[in-house]
Amino acid sequence: MRHIHPAEKFAFALTTMIICLALSTSITSLLVILLMAGLVIIAGRIPALFYLKLMFLPMFFLVVGVLTVAFSFSPKDTYPFLWGFKLGGYALGVTAAGLATARELFLKSLGAVSCLYFLSLTTPMVEILAVLRNLKLPSLFIELMTLIYRFIFILLETTEKIFISQSSRWGYATVKTSYFSLGQLGANLLTKSYYHSQMLFTTLLARCYQGNINVLEKPYPLSGKSIAMFTVAELILLALGLWFKA
Amino acid sequence: MRWYVQLKSKPILEAREISFSYADGTQALDKISLSIPRGKKTAFLGPNGAGKTTLFLHFNGILKPNRGKVCYDGREVRYNHTSLLNLRKNVGIVFQDPETQLFSSSVWQEISFGPVNLGLPKEKVWERVNQAMAEAGITDLRDKPTHFLSYGQKKRVAIADILAMKPKVLICDEPTAWLDVKCAAQTMELFDLINHTTGVTIIFSTHDVDLAYSWADYIFLIKNGKIIAEGIPEHIFYNQRLLAEAELDRPWLVDIYEELKRKGWVASNVPPSTKQELLEQIREKNVMVTND
Ligand SMILES: Nc1ncnc2c1ncn2[C@@H]1O[C@H](COP(=O)(O)OP(=O)(O)O)[C@@H](O)[C@H]1O
Ligand SMILES: [Mg+2]
Repeated sequence: MRHIHPAEKFAFALTTMIICLALSTSITSLLVILLMAGLVIIAGRIPALFYLKLMFLPMFFLVVGVLTVAFSFSPKDTYPFLWGFKLGGYALGVTAAGLATARELFLKSLGAVSCLYFLSLTTPMVEILAVLRNLKLPSLFIELMTLIYRFIFILLETTEKIFISQSSRWGYATVKTSYFSLGQLGANLLTKSYYHSQMLFTTLLARCYQGNINVLEKPYPLSGKSIAMFTVAELILLALGLWFKA
Repeated sequence: MRWYVQLKSKPILEAREISFSYADGTQALDKISLSIPRGKKTAFLGPNGAGKTTLFLHFNGILKPNRGKVCYDGREVRYNHTSLLNLRKNVGIVFQDPETQLFSSSVWQEISFGPVNLGLPKEKVWERVNQAMAEAGITDLRDKPTHFLSYGQKKRVAIADILAMKPKVLICDEPTAWLDVKCAAQTMELFDLINHTTGVTIIFSTHDVDLAYSWADYIFLIKNGKIIAEGIPEHIFYNQRLLAEAELDRPWLVDIYEELKRKGWVASNVPPSTKQELLEQIREKNVMVTND
């Protein structure tokens, strides 16, 4: 998928996500999840197991969020609970409607997440940023994204280095030292990041930085074939979604 | 044989009595005056904290001296926007830690930052990026995100960053720090090549006497923010008193050469500047002995 114009992939991911969110039926969401998984694994050559692991990442937040939707409670006993119990004067339980909403929400979120995964697994961050730039998003916003993206890695690396150096000197041997070490890690991370951003500014200045981070973008040809394929896929998805909804 | 530097040609960079203190009061430079020979490889040799990095930051106007002045190409550096841009176009610095220099997420894009800032047209920028990658030997890394590179690779990208701006002076702060022997040699060979083919003036800092002895045409000894000596490597490293004052070891080549000469086992009277030259001198002597 690397040779496809990033704007095409961006548009595809975005429209699919909109369809998934707008139609808001379990079937459509399921279709989107399967479609994106297929594209990423087959066309994008991402190992299936790795993709599955990635899909499990948002699962925790989703399950917690969706559980609160599935449960309803009422002051009286009249709710048509499938399953429930009493707590003081209140009844707490799961209703059929609640369960349906929860399922819908769960699949919808997972569908939207797979669209984002599709984009980030097939398109490098640089190119996503280039698309956003072409969409005339404010350059401040895009430069912030560029630097934040870079700093996430620096922060992770620094954390890892400090953590290794601490734990190799028994910094996490007991609960007490662990608290102390963790505090030190946090404080050092801040000063190190500050130092790092200062240094980065210096090195940018040394390369004639004038307040704008300007870099080259790779020229990608727009391809009629992939646009057509993406459009057909969207149309089929939309038609199926509408048909199931009706 | 080593090329003997003539300081007669107009120096490319000069410092005249510059002093600099950091905000916390640390005096990093103390009335430094010096001239950098044009088109040569100059080394600043000194221990950590001597002021090498601080001095380099003065050479392209990142830092402004508290007293004294810096001159580029015979003209005093001015600290207004356009003069500074012009200075930084001509004097490029490769910083010691490439980690702090790389910000972009792919190698070729990172390298394009400098040339784009110079306002070059797109095709020219591509040309420069490709050429810089070829020179630094990183063409195969072009699409890699910079954060997945090894330290040595990051260092090469950092060098290519500056090469793409085609500066007249290439400053490299501790070019071989934390590099393995092979990477270090490759880096120095790259500087040699750039210096020979395009006549770019190379300035580097180091605390490694062997590196300075073998690779520099001209050496400044720097300590506690002062220049304590300058000269061609032979003058610096055959002067025991000076080395003692600077608390520097002698390069191993010099030690071995002197010992061999005392024993009469080398032919030439010209001190060798590389291991290869020393070996040749020993072999030559061997031939002479067997011919007798
Ligand atoms: N940002 C800074 N703030 C305060 N002092 C500094 C700063 N950078 C360097 N120094 C001090 O200035 C002196 C010279 O440092 P530096 O130029 O980095 O030396 P070198 O590069 O030769 O190791 C040292 O004493 C150092 O502690
Ligand atoms: Mg330094």
